[in-house]
Amino acid sequence: MVREFELPDVGEGVAEGELLRWRVAPGDAVSEDQPVAEVETDKAVVDVPSPVDGVVEELRATEGEVVPVGDVIIVFRVEGENESDETAVTPPDDATSESGSQTDDEATPQPTGDAPSDPAVTQSVQVPAPPSVRRLARELGVDISSIADSSSGRITESDIRAYASESSTQERSNQQTAAAGQRDQQSAPAQSVSSAQMQETADRETTVAVPKTRHIAAEEGIDLNTVPTDERKDGEPFVTLETVREYAEAHQQAQKTDREAVARRAATDEPARPESRKPYTGIRQTIGSAMTESKYTAPHVTHQDEVDVTALVDARSALKQAAEEHDIRLTYLPFVMKACAAALQENPQINVSLDEANEEIVEKQYYNIGIATATDDGLLVPVVEDVDTKGLLEVAAETYEKTQKARERSLSPEEMRGGTFTISNIGGIGGEYGTPIINQPESAILALGEIKKKPRVVERDGEETIEPRHVMTLSLSFDHRVLDGADAAQFTNAVQKYLRNPNLLLLE
Amino acid sequence: MVVGDVTTSTDVLVIGAGPGGYVAAIRAAQLDLDVTLVEKGAYGGACLNRGCIPSKALLNASKLAAEAGNAEELGIYADPTVALDEMMDWKDGVVDQLTSGIEQLCTAAGVNLLQGTAEFADENKIRIVHQGDGQGSESLKFEYCIIATGSRPIEIPGFDYGDEYIVSSTGALTLETVPDELAIVGAGYIGMELATVYSRLGSDVTVVEMLEQALPSYEQDIASVVRQRAENLGVDFHFGYTADSWAESGDEAVLTAVPADGAAHDSDIELTADRILVAVGRRPVTDTLSIDAAGVETSSQGFIPTDSRCRTNKEHIFAVGDVAGEPMLAHKGSKEGEVAAEVIAGEPAAVDYQALPAAVFTEPEIGTVGLTATEAANEGITPVTGTFQFQASGRALTANRTDGFVRIVAAKETERVIGAQIVGPEASELIAEIAAMIEMGAKLQDIGSTVHTHPTLSESIMEAAQNARGKAIHRHT
Repeated sequence: MVREFELPDVGEGVAEGELLRWRVAPGDAVSEDQPVAEVETDKAVVDVPSPVDGVVEELRATEGEVVPVGDVIIVFRVEGENESDETAVTPPDDATSESGSQTDDEATPQPTGDAPSDPAVTQSVQVPAPPSVRRLARELGVDISSIADSSSGRITESDIRAYASESSTQERSNQQTAAAGQRDQQSAPAQSVSSAQMQETADRETTVAVPKTRHIAAEEGIDLNTVPTDERKDGEPFVTLETVREYAEAHQQAQKTDREAVARRAATDEPARPESRKPYTGIRQTIGSAMTESKYTAPHVTHQDEVDVTALVDARSALKQAAEEHDIRLTYLPFVMKACAAALQENPQINVSLDEANEEIVEKQYYNIGIATATDDGLLVPVVEDVDTKGLLEVAAETYEKTQKARERSLSPEEMRGGTFTISNIGGIGGEYGTPIINQPESAILALGEIKKKPRVVERDGEETIEPRHVMTLSLSFDHRVLDGADAAQFTNAVQKYLRNPNLLLLE
Repeated sequence: MVVGDVTTSTDVLVIGAGPGGYVAAIRAAQLDLDVTLVEKGAYGGACLNRGCIPSKALLNASKLAAEAGNAEELGIYADPTVALDEMMDWKDGVVDQLTSGIEQLCTAAGVNLLQGTAEFADENKIRIVHQGDGQGSESLKFEYCIIATGSRPIEIPGFDYGDEYIVSSTGALTLETVPDELAIVGAGYIGMELATVYSRLGSDVTVVEMLEQALPSYEQDIASVVRQRAENLGVDFHFGYTADSWAESGDEAVLTAVPADGAAHDSDIELTADRILVAVGRRPVTDTLSIDAAGVETSSQGFIPTDSRCRTNKEHIFAVGDVAGEPMLAHKGSKEGEVAAEVIAGEPAAVDYQALPAAVFTEPEIGTVGLTATEAANEGITPVTGTFQFQASGRALTANRTDGFVRIVAAKETERVIGAQIVGPEASELIAEIAAMIEMGAKLQDIGSTVHTHPTLSESIMEAAQNARGKAIHRHT
C-alpha cells in the first residue's frame, strides 16, 4: 500500500518548515529512520527520518518550499501491507477531476479559524457527511459542498484528505507558475502576454448548461457562449460547472496580467534599477519577528561604558598557550562570560525575566549565557549553561563547539533554549557602541565592542601618565520595565571590575 | 471611564451565564484562554432559572399527580393532594443544584466570575455595574467578547408583569398557590406547556390565541394531537382572539379578548381568572448592553446577526444563543457557545449542524428535527414520508400512552433521512436518534435495518423508516 507521510512537528511547536533539500528521489528504497529530507525550522536544520521501510513513490514538496506541519510531503510505497487499503488514499476519479478544476479560492487552504465559506445555519440537509468529516474539511480548508456536488454517496474522511492533497498540489503548481511569472516579468518586462493570447474563447449562439452552472456564470459575469467546450449534450455544446470555474479563473488571471502590464508600461518611464529579491523566510523571518516583538514589548535603554582590559589582554596571552595544549582556542569571550556570570550573581536583579501573564518577575538562580552568533543565515544564539560552575577552559571549549555548530547550522533547538542573559560579540568584527536588542524573555543583553588601543590616563604611585591601553566598550541594553538605570550601571561596574582585573575570576 | 473605575483585562469576556455563555466560558478556559464571565443574576440563565429546568420539573411533578389520579382504567384508585409550595421547593432544589453546579464547573475550569450588569464602553472595553447601593462599577478590557445575554418574555401593552394578576412564564414557575382559574395569552410552546402543568394541577385553564391553531409553528396534525389532549385535560381554547385589556373585579381579574381579524368572530369575550399568564414570545436582551458603543449591529427585532463562526459585524465580538437569533433553544446556544470559544482559540469550528432538534414538553411531547415534507418540497427536494402510529406500538400500549405518531421525512431520490416529527410519549428523547442519523447522513434503510430493542418506543422509528420504503411489518392504516 502507499503511505502518506506528513511533515512532523520537527521542533517544539513549530508551525512550518522550509524544505531545504530532499535526500531521496522517487524510486529510492528507504529504510525506517533513514533521513529523507532536511527541513529548516525557526532556528535549526533538522533531518526528517522515514517512518517506514519502503520505496519513495512521490515527493509532494519542492526544495525551498515552506511546508506547514501536517502537510503530506512524501508518499512511500510499503510492501506487504494490505493492498485493499490503497483505496483509502486514492481519491475517487470524479473527486480528482473535480478538484483539478477548482478555482484558486476553493483550493487554497484557509488559515485556521477562517472558513472557506460560511455554511449557512440551516435546517436544510445538503451535505451527506458526518460531523467529524465536516470538521476535518474545515481543518484542511476544503469546501465540502464542492465534493458533495461530485459525489452521490456519503463523503468520508478519506475523500476529504484526497481532495485536500489534490488541491494543495494544484495550488503549489499555481504558486510555482506565479513565481515563474514574476521572474519573467523582472527579467523581461516587455514580454507580457495579453489576455487574448492567454485565453482561448469561444463564440457560440447556444450553449447547454445546468441551472447551477448558469447561476455561477452569471455571478462571475461570464457569457456561457464564450466558454470553450468539447462536450455536447443533445447535440448542443454543453458547459459544465468546472469548465466555467476554470474559465472564470483564467479570465480573472488574464485581466490581472493585463492590468499589471499596463502598470509596468506606466512604470517604464523610470529606468530599471538593478535589484534582486530573495525570500524573507525561515531564520531571517524568525529573527525579524523576535526582534520586533522584543523591541516593541520591552522599553529598551542602553547603558554604555568602556573598560580598560589591558590586564585581561595580558592574562589571555599568558593562558593562550596553555589552553592550546588542551586543544582549546582561548578567546576573550569566555573571560567575559565568566565575568558576566559573576556579575549576575552579585546583581541578581539582572538575571530575571518578566512573566507578564502571572504578573511576576522571575529571578533565576542559574546562569546560562547565550552567545549571539552571526551565521550565513542570520543570528543564532547558542546557550552555554551554568557558566558560573564551569571552569574557564570548559566554558571556552563549550562556547567554541556551540558557536561552530551554529555556523554549521547543526545546533539543536534545545541548545538555544534556557538562556538567562545574552552576550553579543560584535567586537570581533569592529565598532564601538551599539544598541543590542534583548533576547526575550531575558531582561538584558551585553554587546562587546572591539578591543582597541587607546590613550588613557594611568595613575601609578601617585603619578599620572598617558599610556596606550587596551580598551573595550560595553553596551548593555536592559528592559526598563523591570530594571532601572542604576541596576544596569551596577551590573556593568561589576563586569568591568572582573575584566579590569581578571585575577578576581580565579576567586569565582 | 467613570472616575474610580478599576480597569482590568481579560482575553475573553463572556456576558451572560446561561447555557450559551457558561458553555462558551468553560470551553474557552479549557483552550487555555483567560476568561471572565459576567452574570447579572443567577448562573444558568433563563434555561435553568426561568425556563427548561423549572418548567420540566413542574411538568413532571404535575404529570405524576395527574396520572396517579386518573388511573382507574388500570385499576388504580388514588386522589393525590398537591402541596404546591412543597412542589415548588423541590423544583427550587433542582434548580439550585444545577446552578451551583455551573458555578463550580466554571470555577474549576479557571473562569473568572463577576456579578454585575455589563455595558459596553467601546469595542474593547466593558463597564460592569454592580448591583446594590455603593457597589460601584469596574471596567474590563477584552480581546474578544461573547455576548450571551439571552432573551426575556415579551410584554404586551396594558399587561404589565409588575401587576398583581399578570404573570410571565417566569412568574408562572414560582406561583405559591394553584390558581382556580388561569387565563393564558398565547398558545405557543410556553403557553401550552404551562397550560399542561396547571390543568394537571387542577386549574381551570383557558387559552387565548391570536391565530387559529395551537402551536402555530408546528404542522397541524401534530398540533391537533396536543390540543386534543389539552382539551381532554379540560383546557378551553379561544382561537382567533387577542388579549385587549384586563380589569380587576373583586378578587379576580377579567380579561377582555377581541377578535383578531374581526371576521371569524364577531364579539368580544370576557374571561375571569385568578392569574393571567402572558406567553406571547421572547425578545433578545440587547437593550441593556449599550451595544452601540461597541459598534455591534442588531436587527430590527434586537437580534445580533452572526455568521457561521458566531461572529458579529465586529471580528472580535461574538454572539451566541437566543440573542443571536431564532430558534431560541438552549442546546443551540450551547453549541454556538462552543463554536465561538473554539473560533477564538483558532480552531476550525463552525456552526454547521445539518439539523437542529427541538422538543415541546406538552402532553404528549413533540420532538422535531430537520425538514418537514412541506419544507423539503419548498427547497426543491422531493420528499417521501413514513409514519408509524403509537397506537400500534406494544410499548406505548403498555404505558397507556398511545396518542401520536412518528413521521420520518427522506429525500425520495437518495432515501437520505432529512427530517422527522414525533408527537407522542417520550418524543423529546426519541428525536435524538433521528438527529444523529441525519448528522451521519443515514438513509432510510440504515434506520430500518438497525435492530431496535423490543419492546420500546424507539421501534416506532424503525417502523416509520420501513414504512417510508413500503416495507413496514406492522403497517398501521
